[in-house]
Amino acid sequence: MTDAALAFHRRIDTALADAGLRRALTLTTGRLASGRTGAFGGLADAEACRQEARLARASAVARLDSYLDRFASAAAARGSTVHWAETAADARRIITGIANDRGIRLAVKSKSMATEEVELNEALEHAGVRVVETDLGEFVVQLGGDRPSHIITPIIHLTRQDVAALFREKLGAAPEEVADIPAMTALARRVLRAEFLRAGMGISGVNLAVAETGSICVVTNEGNGRLTTTLPRVHVALLGLERIVPTAADLASVLTVLARSATGQASSVYTNVITGPRRRGGGRGGPEAGDPDGPEELHIVILDNGRSRLLGTPLSEILYCVRCGACLNVCPVYRLIGGHAYGGVYPGPVGSVVMPGLHGVEGWSELAHASSLCGACRDACPVKIDLPHLLLAVRREAAARQLAPLWIRAAMPVYAAVVTRPWLYRWVGRAAARLARVVQHEGWIRRLPGPLGAWTASRDFPIPAARSFVEEHQARKAAAR
Amino acid sequence: MTSPRERILASIRDGLLRAHLPADADGPPRHAAGESAAPTVADMPDQFSAALTALSGHVHRASGAAGVADVIAGIARAHQAASCISWDDEHLGCAGLLGVLSSRGLARVTYDVSGEPGQRAVDVDALAGVGLGLTGAHAALAETGGLVLVSGPGRGRLASLLPPVHVAVVAERRLRPSLSALLREEPDLLDAGSNVVIVAGPSRTADIEMTLTHGVHGPKHLHVILTA
Repeated sequence: MTDAALAFHRRIDTALADAGLRRALTLTTGRLASGRTGAFGGLADAEACRQEARLARASAVARLDSYLDRFASAAAARGSTVHWAETAADARRIITGIANDRGIRLAVKSKSMATEEVELNEALEHAGVRVVETDLGEFVVQLGGDRPSHIITPIIHLTRQDVAALFREKLGAAPEEVADIPAMTALARRVLRAEFLRAGMGISGVNLAVAETGSICVVTNEGNGRLTTTLPRVHVALLGLERIVPTAADLASVLTVLARSATGQASSVYTNVITGPRRRGGGRGGPEAGDPDGPEELHIVILDNGRSRLLGTPLSEILYCVRCGACLNVCPVYRLIGGHAYGGVYPGPVGSVVMPGLHGVEGWSELAHASSLCGACRDACPVKIDLPHLLLAVRREAAARQLAPLWIRAAMPVYAAVVTRPWLYRWVGRAAARLARVVQHEGWIRRLPGPLGAWTASRDFPIPAARSFVEEHQARKAAAR
Repeated sequence: MTSPRERILASIRDGLLRAHLPADADGPPRHAAGESAAPTVADMPDQFSAALTALSGHVHRASGAAGVADVIAGIARAHQAASCISWDDEHLGCAGLLGVLSSRGLARVTYDVSGEPGQRAVDVDALAGVGLGLTGAHAALAETGGLVLVSGPGRGRLASLLPPVHVAVVAERRLRPSLSALLREEPDLLDAGSNVVIVAGPSRTADIEMTLTHGVHGPKHLHVILTA
């Protein structure tokens, strides 16, 4: 096994040994998945809504160069400052630059996977800017020096007792302030509200951007997304370059399925569409003709970081993704091992395609093997991405680059030779069945010798039946005659 | 020397030449899927009320400035709010409302947040303790119980965001079946203000143990007063 594969297997073992995590995963993913089913049940024609959302995303990706260009021009025309970041390092440099140039020492952030992808917080802290995560889950993650374990609900790996202990240790909370979940939520509101009122910069991601108007859409349930984009003097939005829809109508199409897929809501509580910074009145006369609040500056940082390269690979369909997390909640593998085991920013089926897609199959191809290709992710995806097909494409790419161990590469042609010759297949099958009964222990094969041991390291086999399927079939046919 | 913009766009064009995009998605977008679920006009107030109530919002019905003010004064009393931040009278869809409220002891705190960092902190601090926010709405969506709020002069964002209680006064004629229907009617709506927000219920979170809790950052209480 490669180092990456060994590390992945170790993380899986750790996750499987954590009984609390298993309980939490079952509860959370179960509720989110059934919430999603219920929410789609409320639509007259759910399938047509998914297809409509898919078309909205697909039409943008198919002409991404022209829509992105149009978005950037439209945003600039409405007073936004548009920046282009080819790499994660560019994004970090641009955003720390904006903060430093304005002497900003405190930034509030609303939840954004893209900022985690470029490791923005570390860069800002290094540049002397304190960063406060304001999504409740992300706030807890940050206090604990932890990592999010789910795209939508970051702390499913923690219990209320874990959070209470953290608030007591890091915030000096009194016992009554952590007595129950509403009390802890109220405490977080108080602590974070003070940060919102002081922060010089608000940093958000972008769920979707509208090409025709240069608008960005940020959805949240807590309202931290609105505070982040309203109170601080400067708003910086980090936009993954593929998150474009052509028109407002397309935005509505995707919104119809987004919240339903993410949390089982018909609509998120706050669907926040921002088109440029605060608008000032026309004349110099007075403030009465302009917006009374909102940021003075809006900076939109368009992030590539491997996306345009991904577009030219067999994985390009993953760029339709709107990061709702539905594929995590239905994945039999994610539901057992949780987000941390995947090792990257994006976990689950989507992460198993996005991580190798953005960062190359070396080091990340192993994730695509942690799938039974059952297709539940494809059925749950609001934009109908064929995830099993993409997972196979990752595996094919890894095979083409000879990333699989030597014995697998040697064994596969032999396997192919056997299964394409019925006489040989029958003969080998009989021999293998006989051998299996020799190495079995209490009806199970738990460990095979030599290189075959890699196969049984994570799998137990029942011993084969006394007769093969073909033998059984022929015997029954003979008996019936 | 090319700019990052040119390089990224060139890289996208290059990628598109080799992209493996599925053929089924190669058509013009249609926007009709949600339509058969659309309610009839007569049903919209009830559907809106049911949707918002399910989200833990409260729906009241009232008419005339005095009637609406009665409801608001009751809400302010219940939450011990002595002052409010509000949209201007002309955007509340209820002539003379602010005057009546003021005469009943609910003072309006006016503001215009400064663009200068130091003064800005002072300005927002002054609003931090206000107990109630009052807005109208550009539209209300029957399907989701959502309020469409468009920012602009006299229509600040903070009234629906900062105080723990948000009260919106909405005329029934502003009801629309869905966001899609509204955007079909007003295709340029997103451009109407620097901020268009759809508010569907009070602020909520379920981050800790999937337990639903209200009022984490935005208002904990949302009241909509429907007027005829």
